[in-house]
Amino acid sequence: MALEDFAAEMDRCSQCSYCKWIPFDQVKSWRFAKNCPSVSYFNFNSYSARGRYAVARSLLRGESECSETVRKIAFTCMTCGSCDVSCKICRYNLEPLGMVRELKFKLVEDGHGLEAHRALVAALHSEQEPSDRPRRSRGDWADGLDVLRPPTEKAEVLFHAGCRASFNKDAQPTARAAVQLLRKAGVEVGILGDEESCCGGRLYSMGFRDEFLRLARSNMAAWAEAGVKTVITSCADGYHAFKHLYPPLGSQVEVLHTVEVLDRLIREGGLTLRSAVPMTVTYHDPCHLGRQGEPYVPWKGVEKKIKGQIVVYEPKRPRHNGAWGVYDSPRNVLRSIPGLELVEMERTREYSWCCGAGGGVREAYPEFSEWTASERIAEAKACGAQALVSACPWCERNFRDALAARGEGMQIFDIVDLVAKAI
Amino acid sequence: MTLPSRVYRDLEDIVGPENISDDPAVLDSYRYSLAHTAIHLGPYYDTFTPRGAAVLLPGTTQEVQAIVQLCNQHRIKFKASSTFWSAQGYPSEDDTLQLDMRRMDRILEIDEKNMFAVVEPGVIGATLQAEAMKVGLNAHLPGSGCSCSILATATSYFGSGPSNLYGGWQYDNLLGMEWVLPTGDLFRTGSLGSNCGWFCGEGPGPSMKGAARGFLGAKGAMGVHTKCAVKLFAWPGPQTLPVEGIVPAYRTPLPRNFRAYTVAFPTWKAWADAAYLIWETGIGYLAHRQYVMFGRDLKFAMVKILTDPTKTLGDLEEILEDPQVQRVTEESKRDFQIVLAGMTPRDIEWQEAAFDQILARTGGWKVEAMNEPEINQWMLLYLIRLGHKNLNLVFGGSYDGAFGLVGVPDYGTSHAEEAAEFKKTWEQRGAVVQAGGDCMMGPIGGMGGGGTCLWENFTCFDPHDRESTDGTREFFDACTQLGLERGWGVGMEKWNAQARGPDGRTTPKTERDRIHLSSPQPAAFRYQHKIREALNPNNLGDAYYETLED
Amino acid sequence: MDESKVSLAEIVGEADVLEDPGLAVSPSLAHDLIPPARPHLKVRPTAADEVQRIVAWANKTCTPLVPMSSGEPHMRGGTTPAISDSVIVDLSEMRRILKIDRRNRLALIEPGVTYAQLQAELEKQSLRVVTPLVPRASKSVLASLLEREPVISPKYQWNLFEPLRSLEIVWGNGEKFWSGTGFLRSDKEEDWRKGMVPVVGPGPGQTDFNRFVSAAQGSMGIVTWASVKCEVLPALRELYLVPADELSDLIDFTYRLLRFRFGDELFIVNATCLAAILADGPAEIAPLSAALPKWVVVVGITGGQILPEQRLEAQRQDIRNIAQQFGQEMLPAVPGCRAEDLLTRILTPNSDSYWKLRYRGGAQELFFLTTLDKTPGHVNTLYSLANEHRYPTSDLGAYIQPVHQGAGCHCEFILPFDRGNRAEVLRAQGLFQAASRRLHSQEAFFSRPYGIWAEMVYNADPMTAQVTRKIKAIFDPNNIMNPGKLCF
Repeated sequence: MALEDFAAEMDRCSQCSYCKWIPFDQVKSWRFAKNCPSVSYFNFNSYSARGRYAVARSLLRGESECSETVRKIAFTCMTCGSCDVSCKICRYNLEPLGMVRELKFKLVEDGHGLEAHRALVAALHSEQEPSDRPRRSRGDWADGLDVLRPPTEKAEVLFHAGCRASFNKDAQPTARAAVQLLRKAGVEVGILGDEESCCGGRLYSMGFRDEFLRLARSNMAAWAEAGVKTVITSCADGYHAFKHLYPPLGSQVEVLHTVEVLDRLIREGGLTLRSAVPMTVTYHDPCHLGRQGEPYVPWKGVEKKIKGQIVVYEPKRPRHNGAWGVYDSPRNVLRSIPGLELVEMERTREYSWCCGAGGGVREAYPEFSEWTASERIAEAKACGAQALVSACPWCERNFRDALAARGEGMQIFDIVDLVAKAI
Repeated sequence: MTLPSRVYRDLEDIVGPENISDDPAVLDSYRYSLAHTAIHLGPYYDTFTPRGAAVLLPGTTQEVQAIVQLCNQHRIKFKASSTFWSAQGYPSEDDTLQLDMRRMDRILEIDEKNMFAVVEPGVIGATLQAEAMKVGLNAHLPGSGCSCSILATATSYFGSGPSNLYGGWQYDNLLGMEWVLPTGDLFRTGSLGSNCGWFCGEGPGPSMKGAARGFLGAKGAMGVHTKCAVKLFAWPGPQTLPVEGIVPAYRTPLPRNFRAYTVAFPTWKAWADAAYLIWETGIGYLAHRQYVMFGRDLKFAMVKILTDPTKTLGDLEEILEDPQVQRVTEESKRDFQIVLAGMTPRDIEWQEAAFDQILARTGGWKVEAMNEPEINQWMLLYLIRLGHKNLNLVFGGSYDGAFGLVGVPDYGTSHAEEAAEFKKTWEQRGAVVQAGGDCMMGPIGGMGGGGTCLWENFTCFDPHDRESTDGTREFFDACTQLGLERGWGVGMEKWNAQARGPDGRTTPKTERDRIHLSSPQPAAFRYQHKIREALNPNNLGDAYYETLED
Repeated sequence: MDESKVSLAEIVGEADVLEDPGLAVSPSLAHDLIPPARPHLKVRPTAADEVQRIVAWANKTCTPLVPMSSGEPHMRGGTTPAISDSVIVDLSEMRRILKIDRRNRLALIEPGVTYAQLQAELEKQSLRVVTPLVPRASKSVLASLLEREPVISPKYQWNLFEPLRSLEIVWGNGEKFWSGTGFLRSDKEEDWRKGMVPVVGPGPGQTDFNRFVSAAQGSMGIVTWASVKCEVLPALRELYLVPADELSDLIDFTYRLLRFRFGDELFIVNATCLAAILADGPAEIAPLSAALPKWVVVVGITGGQILPEQRLEAQRQDIRNIAQQFGQEMLPAVPGCRAEDLLTRILTPNSDSYWKLRYRGGAQELFFLTTLDKTPGHVNTLYSLANEHRYPTSDLGAYIQPVHQGAGCHCEFILPFDRGNRAEVLRAQGLFQAASRRLHSQEAFFSRPYGIWAEMVYNADPMTAQVTRKIKAIFDPNNIMNPGKLCF
């Protein structure tokens, strides 16, 4: 794909600004009605999906150049996909998330990527990791765990730890707990350890298509070698990458998030939660598990028109609009925990507010990223929750960092942490 | 950069450097394509509104005043918009300063007892309605939907929507207003000017709010409105709309004091009779001819798609083959939607009984297929929140409205079929969506208590396709021709052609004058010229405020 | 030879030009507070083109014109000249009801049409028009609506001009103009059946010309016909009374009815005001006032043409329940008043003595707009000032009328006095002036600035004055229309 492939959409964008708001049917208050962090923070129309369509068109037509401002417009997009959901309330022939991804790819390919991102990519090239630690220590988090270690041992079920869990001390207990829970339920699981590559999802969302491809192929090769049939991960970013970005490259493994597995295990009796965890919590839907966590349906086709001017596709094009993301599994799991009360924020499920970490924004625009996280924390507090729970170490880390930066207090958990408490 | 650097710096000092930009790409995101929904003047393929001199995001009334005063000093035209949806909100002259009012987005007050709200320009219908519902009130939403600025619809444009008949249209609902005049002076109208609060927009004496808006507002061409109060009305429902369903098929299971119906009639006269009876009986909370915007032939099939999260436009042809869909389509030719809301159980009981009587007297019926719970609850949510108005553009990304036939029900109904047939013939040429001719959406009641209807014939086209946009324009020209021949006047398809022309810029004076001189009362535009001279002496707006010189 | 008289006689005929017509003694304080100038002539046109020619002549000769549509008594000073050598344009002879259209519920009337006249004709077509509180028989419907007099059924007021719609206006510059869709008006029935109906008030275009003549005291132009929105004549109607000792006890109940838009007629009066409406003569008022409850909400319930009984029953029960919720009772009668008697009175314009004058022969109205919740405070202010001025509070009438479906509230006090008693006149004057100023400082909005209120409000709101003068300069560049009023 290329940015030019979206030229028709640039003309067909409704310019309605629905991309700046959660689906209007779901608006419950003035305070929590917005959906797009970048336009909410920077305010110029250019920072919304409709604005980025217009900026992209301006660039393609040669009517403007890639200024610092244009780079900022493009790279402050977290690719959270909320604009995509809202747009598709009414539109069936626009793909704003796809467009902004291509915009980023184009800018990077044309040499306009951000320094902060390039540094990260360079580190990966020299076998460093997004977390700036040497790759060879990637598997250390699992020391002492009863896991299979491909490629030495074949493992049909693989637990992909992800970069956060592999290298951040505060995320490692959660990764360990996830594996321990799976083992407790009798699931034979392996980890790649040092052979695990970054999923590439973050780089993809930063605009580094080639880098993503390199990492994806590396992982796929390692899986093939290990005989992997199912990949489980606790990282929403990885989940999305494996589920959506890898299949077009030929990946055929089943992809599950830890919460999906936990949900199934609890329902089938493989795990019983007995200890009470008396707490009021609210659940944050990670973008890449929720609205971007829908089943992948391959499609290749062309646009056609019916009834004169109705734009459809041949064959029928599947719609990714957040309808079938992973929303219920994490909630089922939380509701299974004795003593735990789950309250909902105003913006949930497909119209959840982003944590602020995505798209390389955390790396390049830390203030904006922190603000985004603080908005979510405010929303969590407003619904009366004592703790904010999620299912992605990036989200959790961003929330914790925002709380620390602002000197605020609120407990942040991963679902796995709470399940581990309840066992 | 077209602004002198010292002017740019002065503006930066007013709003802060993070709230001003003249980056070309940013400015291009503040241009409107006239291949698109130009709102009643085009479309013109590959034509854009002029690039602005800069775009600013003011945060306070004082900032707006300072900007406008600077503009007067340097004779710079300016144009403010809140949501930038429609060509009207964009400059029609080069070197115009664009004000994006998004940052001024506070709901300043909701007076629960006296039922009004005070808002800034960036407040959209959805958030005002959500906050109002918490205290048992509702806000009138314009037909263009809840994504639009409440202030803009009340002060600067039209403000007609499904709740006209009960809630009043925005002409009715506009109370006190804070207006930065084109000179930069601050004018507070009505009770506000007398420091008595926001509750009354009129007076003292003759109401000068009349200089801000009449049937329509000044469309951003006469200063900037920075706050206003709007009257609210009762919401006898829950504090938050309970919403169920999978996106986009959201629906609301409201309590039994809410009823939503699609009704249809055997003749257009019966349709008109029903409208009159509904108004004089004093029932109805919302009433609109809504889903016909998809076209007579397509509307029920579209409802089936929209209420099923597994369906897309790609399923349309198959759904149209369904005999049930064909039956309902035929049955509901002359239809409209209505929501009844009872303040008490007895109230809804009476309204329901009265409505049944009206149907019996006029030979109308409730379209049962639209009473299926999932469809009915979807319809209720749709009409109350009006959060799906982007569906105007669902087919290919663009629509505009032809004809209009604004007048009492007898007027519109006597010409509706002809207007529909005319469009149907043109649809066969392929430039616009073949929808069945009758795509005429409009409110049942153009003002509080009823009175008029409007028949906007939705014409859907592809802004990316030159043949489609050119063909649409040809069709609109033909509509105007027909309207003039039939004595209907120039229709909605050209309502703004006197402001902006095919090059995206102000219509030349000779053409504007010709249009105004051929109107029923050219004097109205002469007076507007004088008002503009009085209030906007440096003429820093554009021709969207229509004037005719002697 | 009086050239003016000759010129005007050429327009309207000699019989309709009155020289030195004098001024009736006002039963209010209007002339005491601002002594009027004696008019030079009074002219009585009977057609719009005569009005136009009069205005053209006035421009040419720079003669002030003072339009007037209603008959006596005039109470507010709006129709008395401020400038000498003025000509009163008496439109009361233009009293045709030009059209009544049942289907669109519209009546087209000339300025001299009174409520009694109009209601009688409307009734024949099962229509009615909402009215102010017992207007006097000689009151012009058009003038009442133009002056934004409140109507007693707030639920029909989607805006403050209702039920006024399109107008034919002769501006002060002599130009004839139609506001709203007035240009649509046709004399042919077939055009009306085709929907060419002047039902829209706003506009045309982006200016609301109606607003410029509203509450203008004739200072912008002369309206020569208007379309007026009507309601259906109820098949059934009842009136109820909800009494209380304190006004504040009735506020929330009234708000609830406004919110639900229950009831048809809906207003609050104090005992003195109610007594004045009910009494046939002055001697009855004091004892009646003593017998009546201190405050009463008057609630009308109507059933229209569809299921009127069911409607009435539902409203009756619901409003009764609401009253109970607020600790009140909805009653068909209270000591001193049977609701059905009151209903007869409020449906019938005063044909003999105007009820506001019934008590002492003279009275001064003090009214303004506010919000309903503030009215108890305003009442307290007035009562306390009345005490300071030794004005008997028992004489004060109070009429509280929600307007614009409850967004605002007309608050009116009636200060009766004996015009023949100089001391009473002075006392009333002192109270009136002090109360006007004090209430103005307490956010009472004098939206209809008659007499001394004009200077008060325009001094406090110079921007409005500035814009108003600019608009005036457009429509009446020679300032011939009732100069000296408002801020002109």
